[in-house]
Amino acid sequence: MPDEPVGVLVIGAGASGAAFAWSIAEAGMSVLCLDQGPWMKQRDYPSNGLDWEERGMGEFSSSPNVRGLPADYPVNEDESDISTQMFNAVGGSTILWAAHFPRLTPRDFRMKSDDGIGADWPIDYETLEPYFALNDRMMGVSGLAGDPAYPYHEPPLPPLPLGASGNALASGFEKLGWHWWPSDSAILSQEYEGREACINLGPCITGCAQGAKASTDITYWPVAQRKGVQVRAGCRVREITVREDGMADGVLYYDEEGQLREQKAEIVVLACNGIGTPRLLLNSKSKQHPDGLANSSGLVGKNLMFHPYALITGVFDESLHGRRGPMGCSLWSHEFYKTDRSRGFVRGYSFEALRGFGPVQTALWGMIAGLLPWGEDHHRAYARLYDHTASMVAITEDLPEETNTVTLDPELKDANGIPAPKVTYRLSENSRKMLAHAVERATEALTAAGAVETVAEPLLRGAGWHLMGTARMGRDPKTSVVNERGQAHDVKNLFIVDGSIFVTAGGVNPTSTIQALALYVADSIKKNIATLFDDA
Amino acid sequence: MTETPAALNDDDFMKALLDLVIPPSAGALPGAGALGLSSSVAKALQADPDLGPLVEAGAQAVREAASSQHPEGLQGMAPEAGAKVLEAQLATHPLLIMGISRYLFPAYYQHPQVLEGIGEPSRPPFPKGFGVEPTDEELLEKLQERRKKA
Repeated sequence: MPDEPVGVLVIGAGASGAAFAWSIAEAGMSVLCLDQGPWMKQRDYPSNGLDWEERGMGEFSSSPNVRGLPADYPVNEDESDISTQMFNAVGGSTILWAAHFPRLTPRDFRMKSDDGIGADWPIDYETLEPYFALNDRMMGVSGLAGDPAYPYHEPPLPPLPLGASGNALASGFEKLGWHWWPSDSAILSQEYEGREACINLGPCITGCAQGAKASTDITYWPVAQRKGVQVRAGCRVREITVREDGMADGVLYYDEEGQLREQKAEIVVLACNGIGTPRLLLNSKSKQHPDGLANSSGLVGKNLMFHPYALITGVFDESLHGRRGPMGCSLWSHEFYKTDRSRGFVRGYSFEALRGFGPVQTALWGMIAGLLPWGEDHHRAYARLYDHTASMVAITEDLPEETNTVTLDPELKDANGIPAPKVTYRLSENSRKMLAHAVERATEALTAAGAVETVAEPLLRGAGWHLMGTARMGRDPKTSVVNERGQAHDVKNLFIVDGSIFVTAGGVNPTSTIQALALYVADSIKKNIATLFDDA
Repeated sequence: MTETPAALNDDDFMKALLDLVIPPSAGALPGAGALGLSSSVAKALQADPDLGPLVEAGAQAVREAASSQHPEGLQGMAPEAGAKVLEAQLATHPLLIMGISRYLFPAYYQHPQVLEGIGEPSRPPFPKGFGVEPTDEELLEKLQERRKKA
């Protein structure tokens, strides 16, 4: 028996789904959100226990293939140089993210115009600016106004303290005369909107027991629910259903008991991330859409972009108290962000400073780096490393390439029997050169900061946190999946609001921009509700 | 006839082996074997389809080599002698130490006694949290100068 029809059905309760649902609730339509994961409880997060690092490698790993929880679906990564990371719960991957919160820069929206490659976005930074600001207020962003790498904007809260490791790294950048700036962080430096300030637990990426890190289950969702939005957790959508005319009319989904149910809706909104969204579109084949929903361009699942990461760690003589404080939020640098063809590659990358490793991670990293032996010298070597490291990651801009794809695996299925995604991704030569450049520059910065030894991992395979490009935005239906308002070219009552619609990736963490886009799409629907389907 | 247990299930042997990987320090840190971690490490390894068989094979080789040199096996040998036996097996079992460490390090470095020994409070991060040094004021002044120039 079908459920009561709704006006707007949002699939996915993560970063984008929450922001979108909160905003669209003002339209006066009934809004329902389905998410395959559960509501999380802060008391269950690993930092409540001594085994916080060990649990971060298992049930709170950012890899769905490692976790293998009931809410997860498997991802075939056999043909990918980078491993996909995500979390499935109300709050989505914001449960486990580091909350580093840069925006895309204005030039990120015009790759084709600036560099003659890739494509331009159909919208620009200025269009999104009010939504960036609104989202900063909703999430609770700490930062320092005035970064010359961006148009002027004022984060609502003062910046997080750099700590000993951040101070050391910043001094290194200063010595070299390189750009750096305290990061915009979706972590509270002060009490804000009923949430407590950060108390420097350290392991942000296994969930924040304090609630100081913004995850949408504690930012957008409580407010959205008070506006009447319903959230149904533990519900996995199998496919989007269509009417005879090809318009979406709802979904088939499995509820918490595994029962197949039908949910009708006037508007369907996808917020399932750059892997989940193309997977669902490709799983929604019909006689009207034989290649998958909204796929007349053939671009659903193509142009997958990650941010290839390099990790560069310095060992210092002095203690840096490094694992205390938000691990991924202290400072960033855009020194090498813009194209300089003399470097041998196009586009660029940002640096994000990381605080030090915890006790367990120090040991595991030290062993892999060849700095921590077994036997009688173990403790001396460990004492040299623990609390004496600081790291930087380079977040490099991936170029959109149609050969990097999300497709349906012919055999692998999730617990409900729904075909799982297969990721095919190869690191480009441009990215390889960029990573190599970043390793050299980071080594230089760490040395200037006082590091006596540096260790580089030139490509972090397990760093596929940012999932973008697989249902790109554009004005031309032949070269894009959704229009400049997130509306599918082929299915006028289908919208996409997650990282899938990114045209290019930029060289910074994408969540701030993903959420700004979701708010922008919601606003666009509200403003154009009377004429939304006119050319359908 | 008594069946010989798998090397990973041989608790006395495993204690000796773990003590070779992380021996007691002259200061405050215990050896890994003395902390009673051997059964949990063995259990985790046996549940790991990739590392488990490799480590079992390596551990078995170490146990046999030690038994051929000392009637009580590895647990009867002096640490220096035991280390030589272990070292000799790494050429044919190169992942033995890495495989053990994958599960030993988390168990060891989250143990309250070890945390205190490395200068950490033996408590979870939450709810007390930690203090963090403030941002260096001189650095912020330099940023202000840069902002003015921009």
